[in-house]
Amino acid sequence: MATFKKKKKDRLLTNEEDEDGVSNPIMAGEADSVQEIMPGGGESSAAETVSEDQEAQSLLQTLKKTRKKKKRELDDELISPKDDLARELQSLKKKSKEKVEETFRRESEEEGEGEEEEEVTVPEVADDGTLPMPEEEVAETAKPVEGEEEVSRIKKLRKKKEEVEETPIEPADEVDAATPREATPPPSPPEPETLPEPTPRTTSLRARMRSRLEKAKEEAAQEIREVEKENREERQERLLKGRRDKRGVTRFDTEMDEAELERLVESKQMKLRMKKEQPKKEKPVYMPTTEEAYDFFTRNFEPELVEEPVVEKADTEAEEKKKKEEKKEGEEEEKKEGEEETKEKQEGEEEEKKDGEEETASKKEKKEKPEDEQPLLEPEEDIMFGHVVMCRAEYPDPAEIEKKEMEILYVPSVKLIPNAEKVFDQQQPRFLEEEGFYVGIRPQTSGMNQNKMEHRLLKEAEKGRLSSKKWFGEDGRILALPDPLRGTPSRPPVPEEPEPHLETVFRHATMREYNTRYIDGAIEGGGHYQLDVDINSIIFSHHHLFSREHVLATRLMQLFEQYIIRKKKNMAEYLTEKLKALKNSSLHLRDHIESHRSEHSDADRTNYQKRLTDYKLEIRKTRELRDQEEQADRTLLKNIIHTWKEMKAQRELQKYNNTPLKLQIRKEEVEKKQDLLLWKQEIEDEIEEIKEEYEDEYYRKMHIYSEELEKYNKQQEAKNAARIRQQNKGRRGSKQRRQSTGSGAASDTDQPVSEEQAQLDREILDEEDLPKPEMPEPFEEGELREKITAKAREIRRRPGEPKLHLELTTTGTVTATQQCPRGEQSRREDVSKCKVFVKVLFNNKEVSRTTSKLLSQDFKVNFGQILNLKIVQWPESIKFQIFENSGFSTDLLAELFAGIPEVSVTSQAVQIEDMEFSSDVKIQHNHEGVGSGRPFSFGSKGTDTLILMTTGTLTASVAWGVNDNGVPLVPPIGPGGPYNIFDSMKKMDPVAAIGAAGVMDLQKLAKWFLASRLDPNDPNNADLVYMLRPREGDFGQLLPSDFFRLEQLQEEFDLVPDEEIQNNRRFQLLELRDLEVLDFRNFKMVPPFDRELARDVFVEYDRKKREEQKLKQVEDIESHRAAIARFRQRVREQVMQRFRVLAHQKKLDDVVNEPAVPNVAMIGTSLMRVLERKRPMRPQRKERKKITAQAIKGDEKEVKILVNILRAGDIPIRMALSSRTAGGGGGRPDTERKGKESLVRPFVEVMFQHNTVKTSVADGPNPSFNEELELSFKAPNDDYSPSSLQQVTDIIFLNLYDEMVVNILEDDRERGTSIHQRIEKHWLGSLKIPFSTLYLNGKIDGKFTIDTPPILLGYGHEQTRGELDLIINHDVRTTLSIFMTIEPPLTQPEHVKEKFTSTEHEKLLAHAENWQRNFETKFPQREILTTVIDVNGKSVFVTRYFKPLHPPEEFISKGEQSAELVARYVSLIPFVSDSVIFAGLCDIWSTCAQFLMMLSGDEEEHAVLLANYFLALNKKTWLIIGSAIPEGPTAYVLTEEQDDFWIWNAGTGKHFSVRDSNCPLQVVGCLINSENIWANIQQYEKPAQMSFVLNDSKCWSTLFGRTFPSPGLGSVQPEALYYFSTDKVYVRDLQEKIEQMLKNKIMDWRSRHITRWNRHCTQIIRKLLPILEENLGKPVGPQHLTELEQQFGSYKVSGFPINLPFTELNSIIESVYATGVHAQESREIEFALAVYVHPYPNSILSVWIYVASLIRQR
Amino acid sequence: MAEIHVIGQIVGATGFPEHSLFCKWGIHTGGAWKILAGLREGQTQVDNPQNHQAAYFSHPIDIHFATKGLQGWPKIHFQVWHQDSFGRNELYGYGFCHVPTSPGIHNIECPTWRPCGTFREQVSQSFLGGGPQLKNPDMIYSGADRYQLRTIAMGKIHLQLGIILRNFDKYGIEC
Repeated sequence: MATFKKKKKDRLLTNEEDEDGVSNPIMAGEADSVQEIMPGGGESSAAETVSEDQEAQSLLQTLKKTRKKKKRELDDELISPKDDLARELQSLKKKSKEKVEETFRRESEEEGEGEEEEEVTVPEVADDGTLPMPEEEVAETAKPVEGEEEVSRIKKLRKKKEEVEETPIEPADEVDAATPREATPPPSPPEPETLPEPTPRTTSLRARMRSRLEKAKEEAAQEIREVEKENREERQERLLKGRRDKRGVTRFDTEMDEAELERLVESKQMKLRMKKEQPKKEKPVYMPTTEEAYDFFTRNFEPELVEEPVVEKADTEAEEKKKKEEKKEGEEEEKKEGEEETKEKQEGEEEEKKDGEEETASKKEKKEKPEDEQPLLEPEEDIMFGHVVMCRAEYPDPAEIEKKEMEILYVPSVKLIPNAEKVFDQQQPRFLEEEGFYVGIRPQTSGMNQNKMEHRLLKEAEKGRLSSKKWFGEDGRILALPDPLRGTPSRPPVPEEPEPHLETVFRHATMREYNTRYIDGAIEGGGHYQLDVDINSIIFSHHHLFSREHVLATRLMQLFEQYIIRKKKNMAEYLTEKLKALKNSSLHLRDHIESHRSEHSDADRTNYQKRLTDYKLEIRKTRELRDQEEQADRTLLKNIIHTWKEMKAQRELQKYNNTPLKLQIRKEEVEKKQDLLLWKQEIEDEIEEIKEEYEDEYYRKMHIYSEELEKYNKQQEAKNAARIRQQNKGRRGSKQRRQSTGSGAASDTDQPVSEEQAQLDREILDEEDLPKPEMPEPFEEGELREKITAKAREIRRRPGEPKLHLELTTTGTVTATQQCPRGEQSRREDVSKCKVFVKVLFNNKEVSRTTSKLLSQDFKVNFGQILNLKIVQWPESIKFQIFENSGFSTDLLAELFAGIPEVSVTSQAVQIEDMEFSSDVKIQHNHEGVGSGRPFSFGSKGTDTLILMTTGTLTASVAWGVNDNGVPLVPPIGPGGPYNIFDSMKKMDPVAAIGAAGVMDLQKLAKWFLASRLDPNDPNNADLVYMLRPREGDFGQLLPSDFFRLEQLQEEFDLVPDEEIQNNRRFQLLELRDLEVLDFRNFKMVPPFDRELARDVFVEYDRKKREEQKLKQVEDIESHRAAIARFRQRVREQVMQRFRVLAHQKKLDDVVNEPAVPNVAMIGTSLMRVLERKRPMRPQRKERKKITAQAIKGDEKEVKILVNILRAGDIPIRMALSSRTAGGGGGRPDTERKGKESLVRPFVEVMFQHNTVKTSVADGPNPSFNEELELSFKAPNDDYSPSSLQQVTDIIFLNLYDEMVVNILEDDRERGTSIHQRIEKHWLGSLKIPFSTLYLNGKIDGKFTIDTPPILLGYGHEQTRGELDLIINHDVRTTLSIFMTIEPPLTQPEHVKEKFTSTEHEKLLAHAENWQRNFETKFPQREILTTVIDVNGKSVFVTRYFKPLHPPEEFISKGEQSAELVARYVSLIPFVSDSVIFAGLCDIWSTCAQFLMMLSGDEEEHAVLLANYFLALNKKTWLIIGSAIPEGPTAYVLTEEQDDFWIWNAGTGKHFSVRDSNCPLQVVGCLINSENIWANIQQYEKPAQMSFVLNDSKCWSTLFGRTFPSPGLGSVQPEALYYFSTDKVYVRDLQEKIEQMLKNKIMDWRSRHITRWNRHCTQIIRKLLPILEENLGKPVGPQHLTELEQQFGSYKVSGFPINLPFTELNSIIESVYATGVHAQESREIEFALAVYVHPYPNSILSVWIYVASLIRQR
Repeated sequence: MAEIHVIGQIVGATGFPEHSLFCKWGIHTGGAWKILAGLREGQTQVDNPQNHQAAYFSHPIDIHFATKGLQGWPKIHFQVWHQDSFGRNELYGYGFCHVPTSPGIHNIECPTWRPCGTFREQVSQSFLGGGPQLKNPDMIYSGADRYQLRTIAMGKIHLQLGIILRNFDKYGIEC
């Protein structure tokens, strides 16, 4: 109902206007229900007339029909539950109505019956809450009972009509209208027709019925009335009060006279009549639809309009008036009113439609209604017309309406209904949930609504509708399904703030401002960081302008400061007090012990004793401390006073004051007696204490003494006894001997005992005498007392001496300058001139300086300057330089280093600190200033001189700057990527966050965590705590979790275990190839299946790995070498890594091959070419096109080394030995052919990568071969890229052999018929050219000296032939002319033109570069060096490498020979090309110390070391940078000899004269020594053609000259080289090892034959080898060889010594193999092998190997 | 044990508001994957076509994986950068795509996006260049929360990838 009402309210306004509009379905329904009663009313009237009963019946029938139809229509329309409800109600009503009708019918026929029925039915109708009828009826019935029927009828009708017309004035009107009508003669004409005469029966019946009805109704509605309605009525009445008051006003303002009334009645009658006629005709057939009904109301009554308007008008007027009034009264009322109106109106409408036919009266009145809409006529006219009656506006009485409403409406309460009421069947509500069933969550509804609903349902249930019970569950609540709503929102709210990991940063488009050397600019802060250096002041504690007084004053001040500090601390006092307290407690304790001795247990006693001793100890300590303190105090006091006295004396002496210092001494008198007492007491105490202590000690010592004494005595006794026994025995022995002749048996028993005894005795006697214990000295009090008193006198205030209090003030006056003597005046002048400023150096560069400030007279300078340094580089050092400026000169006083501040130290939170400095500048003044670093004395005495250095304190601070926003401008920690590495680490690793990165053992960490008592609640430790998250939430037990899962569910879905992938060899191979591991680089064709892999793929690699491992583990015989190898390996790996990255960075040229676009110049040259003369006979050399690594990779191409051997010269020839043996053998073909030409048949064999090719055999010592040999070259893994080729360590061996044909025909008889010969080759010498040299130079061309052994048995040189059998080949060197190149030419590695960082001065670098560039444009061929790269990868000026360095002692003393010795020593250091070690990195110059440590280097290292040694030997030495054969660009050493210059090859130790045309040095680029660099600007570059007059500026251009003087560069070399002698044992071991290994190897090599060793020969050779070493590898004199010769006369001996520096065993083997000694096929051959290793300092070893083959002569 | 060999190229990029682009790329895989050979990240050259809509990089990708599981199938992620006339680099787009799971040649388009930042940032970007970048570039290819980023669509990167799969069938994986 509430909703219904509301709706109506909403509709209010519209309804007011179109009052007759067709009501909406609901309203229609409502109307139906309203109608239902009316017929009841109508019926009763109809029943009164029996004649018309029939008609009425029929009418009823039709009515019913229409109603039913209507209902059906409505039913169709109604869909909503509300409608359902309405329908239900309707159907109920219908039923009841039928019943009513029936009863009526029955009543009309048989009276009395049906009463019971009515009784049943009527209440039912009334009970229907929605039906307003019963109340109405009650209201209606009340009147008829009272008065006459007709009147009541009219009244009723009228009332109906009024209701229909909706005039709210109704209640008043009713009364008014009723009274006139009653007054008027009985009803108007139509009445007799419609209104039957009321019979007494019917009246009575009706009355009865009504009364009954009323009663029933009352009963039914009692509840509501009682409970609700009253309240509501009251309320409404209250509300309507105002209206009632108004009613009083309205009621009487419109007047109605009789005429009007009559007219009204008349018109009504007319209308009724007309109306009656019409419907009657149509009724049987016509069933008005709603539309028709509408039409009916709107159209059909035009003619009557004339009469009506007045009333209407009046009505409307009244209405309007009323409305206005109401409006004034308030909205609420209006609404209510309107609501009621519309309701009423609708009811009325319906009635009209349906009941119009039956009740004419009502109809007549109702007819007015449609006319409301008709246009109104002028009211005046109507009035004039006469038919119009002015009526007051009619309106229903609100109270009545309310009352009715109350009757109609049921407003459910919102109160809670007890459950018991809602449970129908059971007594108790049953709660399923409590019984454990799942009930589900009920949807949320407001309790009020729910209660309302329940009330309604209950209401229904009360009415007996069982169906409504089913709405309640067993628990008494309305049944409800579980809440269908999800608890959580299905669309989660999007948080406002962005997720932290989704954050974006706005990065400006910037180019990298700073490279990685600087602080990264990309980080927020833009790479701008600031250091604030606050330089506050300088206070000099000594300055060279100090006067003597100043010196004293500062001293005094310092002392006083100390004094103040000490005073503040007052340690002496404190300790005295402590001492007192300790004494007291010890005394107390002692008393305690004494008094309670009996009570204590043993444990207690010891405990107390211990405490007592503790106390004693403490007392002693404290006393000592106090004494010290007191002493210090006293000395300080003395010093101060002394200084003050001195100062005063000084002032006296100089007669003026320089300082305002003044010392005031206050004396505090003390009582002497008291003091004395204390003094004595103190001394006594101390003595007592010491005594006590001493006594303790004494007892202890005495105890020990007595024990020892006892022992000693016992021993002495025993010894004495033993001695006596022995003496006795001796006596007895002689006695026995004497006796033995007589009675031998007697002594038999004695003998064994005495034997044992003797033994014991001997032992006793042999025992050392125990020292005789010394008696401890007893306590000597007197001495001690003296000592203590002396001490007390020394350190303590004597009794009666006043206490002194010092005070230093600056109140004294300084003597004015004018009054001072001249010296002082000039001093002061100087002081006032002296200015001081501070330079700030950041990373050793001056960045800022303070203003220079004058030194004040008290030697203080206040700067108070804050210097802001914007930095872009990582701070490495911050340095302050204090400068002093007096007059013109500026002197550096001191340098101070300030620490780089911590990140947290910002300029806001920095404390200024004092930094002390001192200067070693020595200054002396000729005025009063004492100077600095110079001795001076006070006063005139001149006794105690002092030397003081300028010292002082700089007050300054360094802190990180803070920008305007308070953000510190601190660079992130550590140079790294854009992310702060620690931050991210912190995120990842909580352990790292606490600065303990890499902690593995979490258990230990947990323990530590507990032990260190970190606060688990500290947010800093949160990560850690989380990691060690307690398992049981117990923080006492922080333990790490056992696992950490990174990728969940990974393992479950693994296809294969990890190991399988890791151990897959194919994968390994692929990976290693990808990593460009040397062995697998460019590995071709990895097979698709594991099984197809060669089994030994990894063998080599694993071996290397193992070796590496071994290097790390074992220190074997070559320990030092191994260490070096390791070091080198490490450096190499690093460099490799660096260059691997570099190599992957491609340049444009690498990617794009762009032929040069022809330009004008090219066209010109090509045109010229056309015109050029053809010169076919002069072919021009064309540059061969270089081939890149990629191009070679095809299989068809092969890289070859072409060796063109042109000729050889000065080959040793076979000498006497062979001729002699030949002569001995006789008749052999070679001896026959023996002539000058065929003395030797040399050929050259080239060996490379174990491939050998050889030339044909030529004749004679100076053969011409002119043969081109080809050797194939195979790069490791077919990788021909420069980086790989650079590391090829293979060596090209060129061996010169002599071919000898030996006849081995055994039988002379067959000589004529058969030839049986053996070809033997004898090694004559060799030339080694590393592949790297060839590769880097592209070609090698020239005449080379072949390394020949110093002794070559059986061979000699031509010119000396014939004089001696064994010839010393003096200066004759065998040479070989060759040309060597690689085909196709390979690309050479590009020198990485990286700009290396340098610490050199920029100006210098610029100058050097400029100079070098100038030179290079002029002489591109000549090499020149200014800067080189050191081991750290920094550019260093080359002159820094030169410095005299002493060679090992043993070489110096050798005089003339020492130079050669040194050269040999240097040459024995193994040679390793830098390109091999540091691929790609051109040259790294290590210092001599590093070189000696690494024991390997290339030319320049050797040369530099040699040059430095020569410098130490006082030779004029230079380093030559140039190129030589075969090395290419290299470094030699030039020395100035008497009248010549020698060029030394440091690699071989050989030297040449500059005039020597055989000198391997071909080009001289520049000369370098520690002073300068001389570039060769002469026409020629061969040393032989050059002038070595360095002063000649036409020949030599110098780097440092007049324009740019040498800055005096310091050396990078160490002060001295450290030498250690080589371990002899190790050398011997090595020697044996080599020998053994070589023997094994030779046997291996000739595995097809038996290898015999000739020991005798070996012995001889072994002797020979040291001689060779002594001779520095030069041929030895013949005297040494003769022996050998003699010994092996019967043998044909061929053999030679090889000398080489020791690097590793493999290289030795290689060298021996290369000589081919083993390749002797003869069966009878014997071998001799000797190895000698000569040690030089620093484990530089010269290895000599002598291999000889011996064939027995027949 | 299963292997994937990805051989292909980053062909180029289209649809970017400017040319003069270059591209940083990387391949991200799960923990089960192991790179046998090849580079897992790189950067192309700057391509500045005079009158083309597309920038061509033709940057090779050649990478060989072995895997023990399927999780974390490799994905290629990109950062497209623009180099303006002053030589400054600014971010133009992020994007990623999975390496195809079927063998053969694949032409892949990888759309890119970039964070658009606040209004202020947009204004300053239009005048001064630069632009918002992800603080955490992992976001390109990980994290489901990316939808919260406000982004602008940028152009596409074109890839041509040849995929060779091996041994997947051995473990019952059909590709």
